[in-house]
Amino acid sequence: MNVQPILQVTNLHVSYDQIEVLRGVSLSVDHGSIVTLIGANGAGKSTLLRCISGILRPKMGSITFAGAEIGERPAHLIARSGLAHVPEGRRLFAKLTVDENLRMGAFRRNDRRGIDNDREHLLEVFPRLRERFRQVSGTLSGGEQQMVAMARALMSRPRMLLLDEPSMGLSPIMVDFVFETIRKINGEGMTILLVEQNASLALQIATNAYVIENGAISLEGSGVHLMDDPRVREAYLG
Amino acid sequence: MTATNALPERPQRRVRGRVSFTTVISWMLRITIVVTLLASAVSSVLKDRYSIDQWFDLVAFGITIGSVYALIALGYTMVYGVLRLINFAHGEIVMAGSFAGFFVAASLDSTGALNRYPILGFAAMLAIALLVSGGIAVLTERFAYRPFRHAPRLAPLICAIGVSFLLQQSFRGFFGTGLRSYPDPDWLMPPVSIFGFDVPAVQVLVVSSAIVVMVGLYLIVHKTRMGTAMRAVSEDVDVATLMGINVDRVVTFTFALGGAVGGIAGVFYGLVFKQVHFFMGFTPGIKAFGAAVLGGIGNVPGAMIGGIFLGICESVAPALLLDGFGIPAPHQMRDLVAFSLLIAVLIFRPYGIFGERLARRRG
Ligand SMILES: Nc1ncnc2c1ncn2[C@@H]1O[C@H](COP(=O)(O)OP(=O)(O)OP(=O)(O)O)[C@@H](O)[C@H]1O
Ligand SMILES: [Mg+2]
Repeated sequence: MNVQPILQVTNLHVSYDQIEVLRGVSLSVDHGSIVTLIGANGAGKSTLLRCISGILRPKMGSITFAGAEIGERPAHLIARSGLAHVPEGRRLFAKLTVDENLRMGAFRRNDRRGIDNDREHLLEVFPRLRERFRQVSGTLSGGEQQMVAMARALMSRPRMLLLDEPSMGLSPIMVDFVFETIRKINGEGMTILLVEQNASLALQIATNAYVIENGAISLEGSGVHLMDDPRVREAYLG
Repeated sequence: MTATNALPERPQRRVRGRVSFTTVISWMLRITIVVTLLASAVSSVLKDRYSIDQWFDLVAFGITIGSVYALIALGYTMVYGVLRLINFAHGEIVMAGSFAGFFVAASLDSTGALNRYPILGFAAMLAIALLVSGGIAVLTERFAYRPFRHAPRLAPLICAIGVSFLLQQSFRGFFGTGLRSYPDPDWLMPPVSIFGFDVPAVQVLVVSSAIVVMVGLYLIVHKTRMGTAMRAVSEDVDVATLMGINVDRVVTFTFALGGAVGGIAGVFYGLVFKQVHFFMGFTPGIKAFGAAVLGGIGNVPGAMIGGIFLGICESVAPALLLDGFGIPAPHQMRDLVAFSLLIAVLIFRPYGIFGERLARRRG
C-alpha cells in the first residue's frame, strides 16, 4: 500500500488582489479515501480547490500530488497528471452536446477503445445521460447537468476527484443519487475530496473531514468523530 | 463567485410597459429608415432603369464579394470567440495572402504555366497564400497578443491596431506603393451560363471554392477534437484548462485557421478586383468585421451569413435604394451604402442577426 497521502496541502496562503482568503491551510488526502471539507459560505472552500487544480496560484505554501510538487505547474498539466476537478455550479460547456462534453473530458487521452469503454460504463452509472446524449447540455436539468459534470471529469480516468458542492440546488432524491454515486465511485477505488454544504450526508460518507473557517482549518478528524462534535452540530448540522 | 469569462454584460431588456424618451426616439428612427428604404426601392423599380440581366449581375457579384467577406469574417469571429479580442490586423493578414497569391500567380504566369495547368496553378496560389497568412497570424498572436493576454482589454486592442500599421508599412516598404495587377489567365475568361444568365468564370470559381472552404471549416470546428476544444475554450477558459486542454495551443490553432482562411480570401479578392496594393486589406477588413458583428460576433455560421448578406446589399442597394432618389452614379457609393446599412441593421438588432438567439441560449 502507498503510505504517503496522494494529496498533501501545506501552509497554503492565497489572496485575491490584496485580500487574503486562505491563511495557512494544511490538509491531506489518503489513497482511496473520501475526505470532506465543510465550511460556511465564503470560508474559502472553492478557493482551495481552484488552487489545488491550478487555476489559481498560491501566494505561499506547497501542494504535492502523487509525490510531486504541483504548486507551480500549469493547470492543464495538473489535469493531465490525473487530478479532475468538478467545479462549483457544474460549469458545463453549455453549447456543446452531452457527447461533446464527455469527449472534452477525455481530451488528453488517445486510447480510443478505452475511451469508448469508459463512456459506456459511465452511461450505465448515469442512464439518464444515454437518452440525452446528443442534446445540447445547456438545456439539461440541474440534476442531469451534475451527472454530466461528474461523468466528464471521470472520462479523463483521473487518480483523484475534486467535487465542489455536487448536491447544490438538487432535489432530495437527486441529492441521494449523487451521494450514492460518490460512494460507488469511491468503492471502485477513486480518491475523492468533497466540498459540501450538506454537512450531515457529507460527513456520513467521509473517511476524514475538515472544517474551514475564515480561510483556516479549525477542526479535523474522522467523519463520524466530527458528526458528534458539539461545535459542528451547532454550526453545520443544526 | 465563479470566474466565468462570459461575453461582456449586455444591458437588461427594458421592462414592458415603461416607455422612455430614448425608446421613442429609437423607434422613430427605425420607422423612418424603413419607410425611406421602401419608398426609394419602389420608385427605383418603377423607373425600370435596370434590366433583369443587370439585376442578376448585381446579385451574382454581391454573392461573390459576399462570400469573400464571409471568409474574412470567419477569422474575426473565431478569434473573438476564443480570446474576446478583435484582431484589427486581420485585414492586413488578408492583404498578405493576396500578395502571396499574386507572386505565385505572376511567376507561374511568366513561364506560361498558369495557363497550361489551371488547377495546379490555382491550388498553388491558395496553398502559398494560406501558409503565409496563417503563419503571419500565428506570429502576430505569439509576439503581439499573447504578452497582453491578461492585461486590460484596451492594451491588446491598441496593439492590434499597431500590428495592422506594421504589416501595412512593411508591405509598402518591400513592394512599394503602386498597384500591381493580378495575372488574368485564359481559363478565367469564358463566362459560365447559369439559369440562362452569363456569369464571369471568376465569380463561379470564387463562390464555389468559398463554399468548399466554409464547409471544410465548419467540419473542422464541429467534428474534430481541436475544433471542439476551440468551442470549449470560447465558452469557459478555466474549465477547458481543467479538461487538460492547453489553451495556448488552441489559441494558436485558431489564429492559424482564421489566418489561413483569410489568406484564401485575399487571393479571391485579388482575382475579383484584379489588383494588389499594400492598403487593400483595410476596407474588406472593416466590412468583414461589420459582417461578423452582423452575424453575432463569435458565431461561426453567423459570420458566413453576415458576409454574404453584406455583399448582396452593397452590390444591389445602390441601384435599388439610391437610384430611386435620383442620385447620380450610385455605384460609386457602394462603401457608403455598405456601412450605412450595417448601422441601420444594428439599430434594429444591436447584437447582430443571431446575437439575441445566442444570448437567450446562454441565459
Ligand atoms: N475572483 C474573486 N475575486 C475576489 N474575491 C473572491 C473571488 N472569488 C472568491 N472571492 C472571495 O474569497 C472568499 C472565499 O470564496 P470561496 O468561493 O472560496 O468561498 P466558498 O467557501 O467556496 O463559499 P461558498 O460556500 O459560498 O461556495 C469570499 O469572501 C469571496 O468573496
Ligand atoms: Mg464555493
